[in-house]
Amino acid sequence: MFDDLDVEYLDRRFEPGAFGEVESFLATNGLDLEDGVEVFVVLRAGRRIVACAGLEANIVKCVATDPLWRGEAISLRVVSEVVHLAHERGHSHLFLYTRPNNTAFFGGCGFRPIVEVPGLVTLMENTPIGIRRYCDSLRKLRRPGAVIGAVVINANPFTKGHRWLVERAAEACDWLHLFVVAEDASFFPYRDRYALVKAGVEDIERLTLHPGSEYMVSRATFSSYFFKEKNVVGDCFTAVDLLVFRDHIAPALGITHRYVGTEPFCPTTNKYNADMKYWLQADLSAAPPVTVVEIPRTEYGAVPISASEVRRLLAVSDFEHIERLVPPTTLQLLKANYATPKVSAA
Amino acid sequence: MKIVREALAGTLESSDLMVRIAPKDGGLDIVLESEVIHQFGAQIEAVVRETLDRLGIDEGLVVVEDKGALDCVVRARIQTAVSRAVDEWTADWRALA
Repeated sequence: MFDDLDVEYLDRRFEPGAFGEVESFLATNGLDLEDGVEVFVVLRAGRRIVACAGLEANIVKCVATDPLWRGEAISLRVVSEVVHLAHERGHSHLFLYTRPNNTAFFGGCGFRPIVEVPGLVTLMENTPIGIRRYCDSLRKLRRPGAVIGAVVINANPFTKGHRWLVERAAEACDWLHLFVVAEDASFFPYRDRYALVKAGVEDIERLTLHPGSEYMVSRATFSSYFFKEKNVVGDCFTAVDLLVFRDHIAPALGITHRYVGTEPFCPTTNKYNADMKYWLQADLSAAPPVTVVEIPRTEYGAVPISASEVRRLLAVSDFEHIERLVPPTTLQLLKANYATPKVSAA
Repeated sequence: MKIVREALAGTLESSDLMVRIAPKDGGLDIVLESEVIHQFGAQIEAVVRETLDRLGIDEGLVVVEDKGALDCVVRARIQTAVSRAVDEWTADWRALA
C-alpha cells in the first residue's frame, strides 16, 4: 500500500542543512522545530516529506504527518521507525510530550499517559509498566507515620546548606524520603553527588535515601531545568514534573509534605519552588495535596550557602572558603578529584 | 537461553505486533496490550508463553503491543526478539515451526 515510501534518517551532525526542509514541513503542520532534536526519521513519497518524527536522547519530539496522507498506517509507521531508531541509539524507554487531544493517537503507538496538565500537555512513555513498576518498588519502602516528608536535591555538590535542609525536614516529620536527582547533566556526576549525600546524611535517623529516577527532575519530566540560560521555563514544564510527583510518587510512599530550601540566587529554582506550591497544593488533581514547606537557607556570614557558590570557588581553587560551606566528606572529594581549576558547566 | 539485554522486534502497524524483551531475574513477566484483547487476549498470551517455553526462556520481562497479529506472526516476532536478546542462540529453528 505505502511500500513506495522511503525511510530516511537525518542526523543534525551530518546533515544540518536537511533540518531546514524538516522545519518547513513541520511549519505547514503547525509545529516548530524544537531545539535539542538530534535526529529525524523522515518518510518520503518521491522527494516529498509526508511524515517525520524527531528524537532528543530518549524523548520523541516533532511528530507530524502530512494531512493529505493522514491515516493510521503512515503515522504508526513513522512512530515504529523512531522507536526502533531510539533503541539502536541505546534508548529503549522513551517519553513524549503531546497535546492532551493527541493521547489517543499515541496510545495506538504504544505510548501510555503518565500525567496530563489539563488543557496544555500530556507526558507519555512507551511502556505500559514504567511508572507503575517504579511506584510498586517505592511502595515497598513505605513507612508508617502521620507526617511523611520528601526532599529532592541535586546536590551539585552536597553542602552544609543541604545538610541543614535535610536536618530541619527530618526533625519536622515522622519519616523523611530523600531523593538525589539522577540526571547526569550537572557539573558533578550523579555517582559523586549520590555518594556525598549518602555520607553526609548517614547519621540522620528516620530517613530513607533514594536514588533518583527518570520520573523526577529528569530530562524527561523537566526538560528545561538543565537549560537555565534560556530563562524561559514554560509553566507546563514545572507542572509536568510536579504532577508526576503528586499523582504517582507521593501516593506510593504516602508523602504528605515536601520540604524545599528558599532560593535567593537561581531564578529557575526559585520559580520551581513557587510553582511547587501551586501544583502540589491546589485543588486540581485526584491525588491528595502535598503540603509545601519552605525552609530558610542557612547562611555563612550573611550570605546563604549555595552549591553554585561552591562551584565558583572551586573554579579558582579557593579551598579555604569552600571548607566553610561544605561538610568534610565533600571537601575531601573536591580536594582529591577536582583540585585543578575547571570551567563550571552549570 | 538467557535474556541478557533489552531487545525489540516488530512494528505497530495493523496485523503486526511490537515485542519488547528485557532481562529480569525470577520468572517470566508478560504484559500484553492488544486492540482485540477481549476476543483473543488469552489466546495471544498462550502463544507467547508456548513460544518462550520452546525457546527455553523462563526468565525475563516481555511486553507485547499487539495490533491484531495472527499466531504465526506472534511466534515469529517473539523468536526474533529473543534472538536479539540472548548472547548465544542455541534453539533449533526446525523444532520451532
